[in-house]
Amino acid sequence: MPGNEANSLNLLPPLFEAGNLEEFQQAGQSVSLTLSPRSNSFATFATPLKTDANTRVAQDSAYDQDIYPASWDKPPTGERRTLITDTSVIFAACRSVFERAKDEGPDVMRSSENLATFRKLASDYVLHLQDSWVHATQLMSNPDGNPHFDGEHYRSLYVSLSLFRTLYLPEDGVEDVPVGDELLDWLNTHFIEPSTEDGDQLSSLEHPWEDELFWPYLTRATVRGLLKSSIFFLRSLSSHPSENLQRIADRLVGLLEKHPRQIQFSTEREFFTASRRWKDRAKALRLELDRVPEDDRNDGYENWWENVSDILGILEGREEILERVCVAVGGGWKEIVCTYGVWIDVGLRRSELPDVVGRTLSNVPPDPTDAEDSLHAELMQGRTKHALAIAAKIDNWLAAHVADLMVPIGLLDTEIDDITGLSIRDTYVLNYADYLHSDPGLWRLTVDYLCTCGDIGKEMADQILLRVPLGLGDLPSGRNRQEHGENLESEAEDGDLSGTVKELNATCFDYGREPTRRTICRIAARKLTKLKKYGLAVAYSRSAEDWLGLGHIIDSLMEEYILHGPLRYVQLIADVTPSLQELRTEIGPRGVFMHRMMFAVRYAEFHQRNVQGDRENAALDLISLFEEELAPRSWWGVVLYDAIPFLQSEHHKYLSMDAVRLLLRRLEEVSLAAKQGCGEDYLTILTQILKVGSVKDALSQLDTLRLALARYYAWSILITPRISGRTSVKVI
Amino acid sequence: MIQTALIRNAHQDLVADAAYDMYGLYLATCGLDQRIKVWSLEESSGTWNLEDEWKAHDAAISKIDWAHAEFGQIIATSSFDRTVRIWEQVQFTQEANGNGGASSSTSSGPNATCRWAERAVLTEAKGSVRAVQFAPHHFGLKLASISTDNLLRIYECLEQPSLTSWQLADEVDVLALPTSAPRTSSLSQSIATTTPTQTSLTLDGTSTTSLTASLLAAQQQQQQSQAPQQNRPGAGVREADGGWCIAWCKDRYWGEVIAVGSGTSGVIRIIQFSPHRRPQTLLALEATGSNSFSSGISNSLGRSGGSRSGAAGLAGGSGFASSKDDDEHNTAYSVTSVAWAPSCGRSFHLIATGSRDGKVRIWKVKPPPPSANSSGFDDQDASMDTLEERWNASLVGEFDDHKTHVGRVEWNITGTVLASSGNDGRVRLWKQTVGGIWRSAGHVSVEQADPSLPGDVDMAENTGVE
Repeated sequence: MPGNEANSLNLLPPLFEAGNLEEFQQAGQSVSLTLSPRSNSFATFATPLKTDANTRVAQDSAYDQDIYPASWDKPPTGERRTLITDTSVIFAACRSVFERAKDEGPDVMRSSENLATFRKLASDYVLHLQDSWVHATQLMSNPDGNPHFDGEHYRSLYVSLSLFRTLYLPEDGVEDVPVGDELLDWLNTHFIEPSTEDGDQLSSLEHPWEDELFWPYLTRATVRGLLKSSIFFLRSLSSHPSENLQRIADRLVGLLEKHPRQIQFSTEREFFTASRRWKDRAKALRLELDRVPEDDRNDGYENWWENVSDILGILEGREEILERVCVAVGGGWKEIVCTYGVWIDVGLRRSELPDVVGRTLSNVPPDPTDAEDSLHAELMQGRTKHALAIAAKIDNWLAAHVADLMVPIGLLDTEIDDITGLSIRDTYVLNYADYLHSDPGLWRLTVDYLCTCGDIGKEMADQILLRVPLGLGDLPSGRNRQEHGENLESEAEDGDLSGTVKELNATCFDYGREPTRRTICRIAARKLTKLKKYGLAVAYSRSAEDWLGLGHIIDSLMEEYILHGPLRYVQLIADVTPSLQELRTEIGPRGVFMHRMMFAVRYAEFHQRNVQGDRENAALDLISLFEEELAPRSWWGVVLYDAIPFLQSEHHKYLSMDAVRLLLRRLEEVSLAAKQGCGEDYLTILTQILKVGSVKDALSQLDTLRLALARYYAWSILITPRISGRTSVKVI
Repeated sequence: MIQTALIRNAHQDLVADAAYDMYGLYLATCGLDQRIKVWSLEESSGTWNLEDEWKAHDAAISKIDWAHAEFGQIIATSSFDRTVRIWEQVQFTQEANGNGGASSSTSSGPNATCRWAERAVLTEAKGSVRAVQFAPHHFGLKLASISTDNLLRIYECLEQPSLTSWQLADEVDVLALPTSAPRTSSLSQSIATTTPTQTSLTLDGTSTTSLTASLLAAQQQQQQSQAPQQNRPGAGVREADGGWCIAWCKDRYWGEVIAVGSGTSGVIRIIQFSPHRRPQTLLALEATGSNSFSSGISNSLGRSGGSRSGAAGLAGGSGFASSKDDDEHNTAYSVTSVAWAPSCGRSFHLIATGSRDGKVRIWKVKPPPPSANSSGFDDQDASMDTLEERWNASLVGEFDDHKTHVGRVEWNITGTVLASSGNDGRVRLWKQTVGGIWRSAGHVSVEQADPSLPGDVDMAENTGVE
């Protein structure tokens, strides 16, 4: 059974022979495990018996060790998966009706309109179960077919949920009406008796009463209200040798033909009156039957009189005869209860059913080994909690969906259990959701079900959501990576790279799981950074308001510059710039990260202009990094180094005197720091970029700048009036 | 239950520990062969492929744990070589660029595109490091380790991208830690036992401090005197006295709280760390030796656990000394595994323990209601404390099905299924029924199936062996 039956498994290959545990232990071995967060599975492995520092294993255990992955639930496949997926839609509809009506009080919830809606939804479940039954049966007849459960399992669910609907969700939402016909309908639909084959066989006989099946068939057909069959075979008795039987059979036909059924009457009063009168006619026929002489009561094959007497007894409404006959034909308690409202008490109400069932069960108990039979008995007695407990043993799908239907129609109290912190309904729905987790591909449904179970369910859903692989390069290596990896680039371009993340985001948003959504975004940003998808990474960091993470992304971007130079860096920053610009307009505690981000962008702008040949503006950009104090100290060396070409041009003077003085001051600060042994703070990155051995080497590279600055400064003094201000001047 | 795969010849010696990553797509295993192996799941076929393997320690590895995915693909291992090591997955191409680590990968398949690199070695332990576990992600990249020197250590990563710099943020001698809370504490501590009349005995931090402290001192003396006399398999002369197991509380609300098992007293201490004060024991979980419940009996135990706890708590400190003393004599075993279930919105915590007395235990631990903490009641109010304002615990399940030492307990991600394993060669699963009773939900065995027993045949048919 799905996930709720105690069961066992012997792993293959075994580690010790049956009954040889002691030897296994003597070899210093035990077993251990770890649970998988992905699904209801775990890995088992042989582990040392002793765990001390000097752990040394007996020599004979130091051989190759296997690891055994196993699952405690079989993930749903085929028809099972179809049922799960299809019925989740109905479940959602149920919840939405419930949510709409719950604030309006129990009376509105149980209004005939709502009850009719719930009946409709229950009928949808029933239809899907019927489909699954057919589907599984077909699969079973196909040699390649391997249904998750056999047809019988779904038949059982189908029958049980149909009974629940019949009992608790009446047609048109009207409860207080006689229930006899509906129960008989349910019985005749799901437990077909007498069999059609028997009927066919008997009808082919010239003298059917000579067959031993004849009277049981006729009796059961009558009990079941299959009056066409009854009448057909009663008529066949017109050629019976006993004239008494011929006459009485004829009278029975007349009686049965006029059997009043509820559906034929517009009011209950008319129906009851007609039923009473009809029973009086049956009692009159009894007088006639009693007058048949003893010697004409047996036709040599059977005592026909006793059989006719039984049939007539049922028509008269005699409970003890109905009970005896039903047991004799192998019908059991269900047959008695479901025909009771047709033959014994036509006014039988749903509310009276538990009494009738209780009485019947004390004489004819249910089969304790048959869970389905027990479930039906509990349902008919109105013992909903017991019924759910049995339903859960049959299939936790059934328990969850029935419990969910029970709450809105007031069959289940919604109190929270002190011990578990859960209501009964939530417990069964959580159990089912737990089972759904056996297939990680069903995470959406798992979360949907969990989120109907209060705060506990929602926090459990968080755990599921957090463990949905994001598909961002977290696909393991090997074939998976080869299969999926090649698509990564193109997917990224299509904007589908983050498809799962988007879906998770939407789901979290729908259910108000903001902290979880942020965690997922943080992880996504991290993974995207690794994939160098900086644009998306910044977007997710921003969505998570993870400024520390944003800082890491900027660090990674700057690392790209260090490793690959300006061309690649400019391209990467172009991805990020739109997000960053949006960020600038937002208010939030971003502080230092914003500053670093601004540097990253402005530094990229500088390189962009420089690469495009717009050196005048590039120079301004470069100087502004110092002027606006955007450049972090660790980058001063790099920015200073970048300034050298702008000072060496023989044709253009790009920098103002102020700019030159600023550069000089910064250079002095770097040199001073280096002298004081703090050069790393300013020059480490330059060391990496120039691929020189030490900070000292990097500093010596800046000597070129010092010289260039000196020359530029000297020249500038000569033409001071013409290059004041911040614009560059052309040398004539 | 079905066997879904088989990883053949995973290690060349017994496997000490294994752990899945956050998504269950990777499985890291480590063994007495001192090696770590990382396996990746091929989702389409359900098979596990070796991604990387390397010699990781100079002695047997004891535990392996994955950090939260928020910090990247990071593994921590603890070992009998007295170190904790931090490992990070790096892309193959990046490794060529020199990420600083010294991967010693040796036999990855041609498909592997990832390698693992050592990032840090934490060497503070003065004994074998028995367990390591990363903190819940909301506390940052931190980990806790417990070693046979009885010290619980908390490390914090100072430089996240590089992972090379780890600071020893806290170091606590588990047995020496007083259970009395500072006077300014807003949380009182309790001691929970399973004695029916003393299930959860709650002491406030002021009036019974001396009593608690002396009891603990007596307890320690007792452990020390008992230890050398022990003659059980696996209980080494000094090793068994040392730290065994740790489990972080997954909840953020209570700050950094860790359940620790140390020594042979059979006690799990729940220790709270705070930046503002010294670590303190919130609660001690102790099962008395005299209680031996079968699965059946413990059902009623589960039902009545909460109420018993309440009654005992209200009884206050009177009568504690004598009854506890008696219990102590009966308790001499190590709790070798502890697992803290994710609380998932419950008003209580579930902590499971596996011990050398052969029992799997499930504790229901109730923290004080949030209001009690946030309102910050002070010592003046302490005498007015009601039970609800303190941490208390009750035993809601006790199972001796393993019969022999229980080596491992672990919760699933929602705290609805507990798994345990023991020297009986079985993995057992435990689930809660609708009424809140914990019951067996099946078992897996490495014993050869007895063909005369029904039920296992079907399982074998489902086995998809690689």
